[in-house]
Amino acid sequence: MNEENGHKSVLVIGGGIAGIQASLDLANMGFKVYLVEKSPSIGGRMAQLDKTFPTNDCAMCILAPKMIEASSHSNIALYTYSEVEDVSGEVGDFKVKIKRNSPFVDWNKCTGCGECTQTELDGSRKFEEEIWVDRIKIDEESCIQCGECTQACVEENKERHGITNIAFERRKFIELPPEEREGREPETLVQRVTLMDEESRMDFWQRELKKCMKCFGCRDVCPVWVYDETELEDPEWITPGEIPPPVPLFHIIRAYRIADSCINCGMCEETCPMDIPLRTIHQLIWRQPPEMIFEYIPGLDPATKEKLIQRVKEHPIAKGEIRK
Amino acid sequence: MNCDFVLTVCPFCGCGCQLYLQVLDGKITGVVPCKTDEISGGQLCIKGRKAADFIYHPDRLRSPLVKRNGRFEPTSWDEALDIVSGRLSEIKRLHGPDSISILSSAKCTNEENFLMMKFARAAVGTNNVDHCARLCHASTVLGLVNSFGSGAMTNSVPEVEGADCIFVIGSNTIEQHPLISSRVLRAKERGAKLIVADPRRIPLTEFADIHLQLRPGTDVCLLNGMMNLILSRNLADKDFIAERTEGFEEFKKKVEEYPPEKVCQITKVDPTALEEAARTYGEAEKASILYAMGITQHTTGTDNVESCANLAMLTGNVGRESTGVNPLRGQNNVQGACDVGALPTVYSGYQSVRDEAIRAKFEKAWGVKLPQEPGLTVTEMTDAALNGSLKAMYIMGENPALSDPDLSHVKKALSSLDFLVVQDIFLSEAAQFAHVVLPACSFAEKEGTFTATDRRVQRVRKAIGPIGDSKPDWVIISELARKIRDAQFDYKSPREVMEEIAELTPSYAGISYKRLDNGEVLAWPCPSKEHPGTKFLHKETFTRGKGRFFAIDYKEPAELPDEEYPFILTTGRLMFQFHTGTMTRRIPALEREAPTGFVELNPEDAKKLSIAQGEKVKVKSRRGEIGIKAFITDRISPGVAFIPFHFAECAANELTSRNLDPEAKIPEFKVCAVKVYKGDKHG
Repeated sequence: MNEENGHKSVLVIGGGIAGIQASLDLANMGFKVYLVEKSPSIGGRMAQLDKTFPTNDCAMCILAPKMIEASSHSNIALYTYSEVEDVSGEVGDFKVKIKRNSPFVDWNKCTGCGECTQTELDGSRKFEEEIWVDRIKIDEESCIQCGECTQACVEENKERHGITNIAFERRKFIELPPEEREGREPETLVQRVTLMDEESRMDFWQRELKKCMKCFGCRDVCPVWVYDETELEDPEWITPGEIPPPVPLFHIIRAYRIADSCINCGMCEETCPMDIPLRTIHQLIWRQPPEMIFEYIPGLDPATKEKLIQRVKEHPIAKGEIRK
Repeated sequence: MNCDFVLTVCPFCGCGCQLYLQVLDGKITGVVPCKTDEISGGQLCIKGRKAADFIYHPDRLRSPLVKRNGRFEPTSWDEALDIVSGRLSEIKRLHGPDSISILSSAKCTNEENFLMMKFARAAVGTNNVDHCARLCHASTVLGLVNSFGSGAMTNSVPEVEGADCIFVIGSNTIEQHPLISSRVLRAKERGAKLIVADPRRIPLTEFADIHLQLRPGTDVCLLNGMMNLILSRNLADKDFIAERTEGFEEFKKKVEEYPPEKVCQITKVDPTALEEAARTYGEAEKASILYAMGITQHTTGTDNVESCANLAMLTGNVGRESTGVNPLRGQNNVQGACDVGALPTVYSGYQSVRDEAIRAKFEKAWGVKLPQEPGLTVTEMTDAALNGSLKAMYIMGENPALSDPDLSHVKKALSSLDFLVVQDIFLSEAAQFAHVVLPACSFAEKEGTFTATDRRVQRVRKAIGPIGDSKPDWVIISELARKIRDAQFDYKSPREVMEEIAELTPSYAGISYKRLDNGEVLAWPCPSKEHPGTKFLHKETFTRGKGRFFAIDYKEPAELPDEEYPFILTTGRLMFQFHTGTMTRRIPALEREAPTGFVELNPEDAKKLSIAQGEKVKVKSRRGEIGIKAFITDRISPGVAFIPFHFAECAANELTSRNLDPEAKIPEFKVCAVKVYKGDKHG
């Protein structure tokens, strides 16, 4: 504990659940906390568990909110992918040397989409299998600087590609002028949707969301859905008994509710019996304004507001054409 | 504190999704999807996700009930079983064994159905044993046996994904078989063509390339029309027909009587759509037919099924991967209940009761003389009860007082019985008529196996002990059987029953708990311990040798609309409820979605009758009348009305007719004539 500069500070080594909880408690008591973690992300073993003793709760449901809180807490300075090199001094006056490993990834820009790990080398091996790229870090010893992961990153994350430190940078696929894109198909769904014009994007989502059979699975498995369940069951908005839900408000409300806390675990998409690309919604939300993904931004200018109200009035529920 | 995950099978539809029941200190806390399961792959529909929510419902029967002075009083198991065995023995002595009939259950395990069938035949001495397959796929079992020799889904569920053309006729797949429909959509995503034939615009039509909106009951005509076009466009598979089938010439002559003009006039289908459908199906390399109640629940049910088989044989779409004729079975174990012989005409494995050699085999195994005349079907039992030849009935896990056609008739029959025993987990509508009610265990409280729609036998595992004083069905049946006739019902566990099934049933011979618990996926026929199970049937030859074409004439449904009753009523199910709702109506999440019934009417009809959206209307047929909310929608054609049959307060089956398919004895749930009028008027 260090009170040297007029405020107390604490070093926590290890960002597993114990380290996270200790950091949060201390931070809430007013201490400045330095949390050091060797791997690129805090979370530790618990993030790899399914259920936990003794309450049988899902591990991520307990952990994820704490991880988010730790990463955004104003009293916690997070040093991930870092190691403590040296400790000197005495009780009340420690000096600690922390080595930060270079991830070769700009974490402020990385969206955690994981596309970099999915790219294929020679069209056969996946990076993931070779363990060169593990989401948000690159192993500097194994890297052969082919640049494939960078390209995946720029294609996937138009404005804010995370992998910046590699010398080899290719042009961004979705920014190419149309004539240069000709003959090349977008490789990922996110790219494909981004390249659609507004109308076909609407069609795409209408079509995908029409598959919904309202199993509520995406909500039930979501580790960061901490809200009241009934929020997605309001009969005024989500007609009971209708398949598919006539307006996909269910999905829009869900997407917005978890937009800033989604950890991209992909459980929603995995558990959807109709294979709706739910994860893509979140990947898009991270880097696009809402009106590009759906139709409009609610409550901006009077014209939009008017449009919204009009839409609600015309909606079959308001007109009583749909069974309640 | 003790935490466990028990792998078991969903108790609702026939998809056969495996799921984990989450058990904490002997109490089920929830359902977790199973990612390694081939069918569900970690995905479940809302019914599966809420499958555990009815288990602890306060309405669960917790002790045996005996009706005294018109009221149910709780009693002990000893007393209840003494009453049942005493009364059944007495009735058997006075009126003969055939005055007793037994309804087995598609909700119970294979082992329990086998025991029930054995109880009927060996302990009571009658072939009067049947179950609700009579009301859903009796015509499939018969029709496909006639055509192919085996009355089950020819291919497996995962194969649907690989088809080039999927023809869905009379199946609301998204709502009734969600995990099969996801495969249909996956195939579609891959570029497969989807043809949907249904009188309603069901959710699947949103994704269909072609929707044939036919008039209810004209399926034979539609299929003949398609086959006519396939023949005239030269799309038939001549080699397949010559090598593997018989009866083609006669069939061809019949089909030639159905030119497209005539067909479109009868079915009201758009001619270009019909042409397109025939071409798409005929040209596809691998075409798969999926069908359900829309085909079977007609007086021409068997004809419909045989027509589907004709269509598949005509284009050579049988006996290969991702093709076939695929009846989607509605209940978790309706396939299994048929397989283990809970039918009046056959023992387990569809071995005929009339066959001397087979009967001798069962007589030897069970040490008792067995009856040889086929028994009564579900639909005949009600008539027999009314005319007095049937005195007692033992119903296990069925609810004929809501599921059978023409309910007032059924209720009269049930109340005219001298003795009625109902064995169920809830006090169902049928149980109200019972003299003795026996409390059974739900799927979570017992061991056993279910057979899914694609013949896949899967383990059901016990997660918790029985609720209250309830007992697993197999225990109740064996205890009762031991009281009536001592020997041969001494089972320590369902495992022993399965061993007996395997011994007596050629198609189940290789199936054992050991193999199933090792994680093997076994679909029958599995004739030996080494056999890996059969993914699709009829590979080299048909089960009956050659596939048989039937020349089938289109027949009108038995009851057509007229001036007095101008609407065709067709019944069906909803996504959020299951059958008579004994279980699903006690699950709050499902009840919230679909709390009550409604009658679907086309806006045109509603306007004519000046009926408003949501207005309470009366629907009347020659048999009964119900009050129900109107739901006006263009997903149904003019002149047709649709009512889901789950709801006791507005039971569609008050209206439906008892007209049966002459062979399969399946009632015509899908077509009857009704009139609709405003609630304040008098009909």
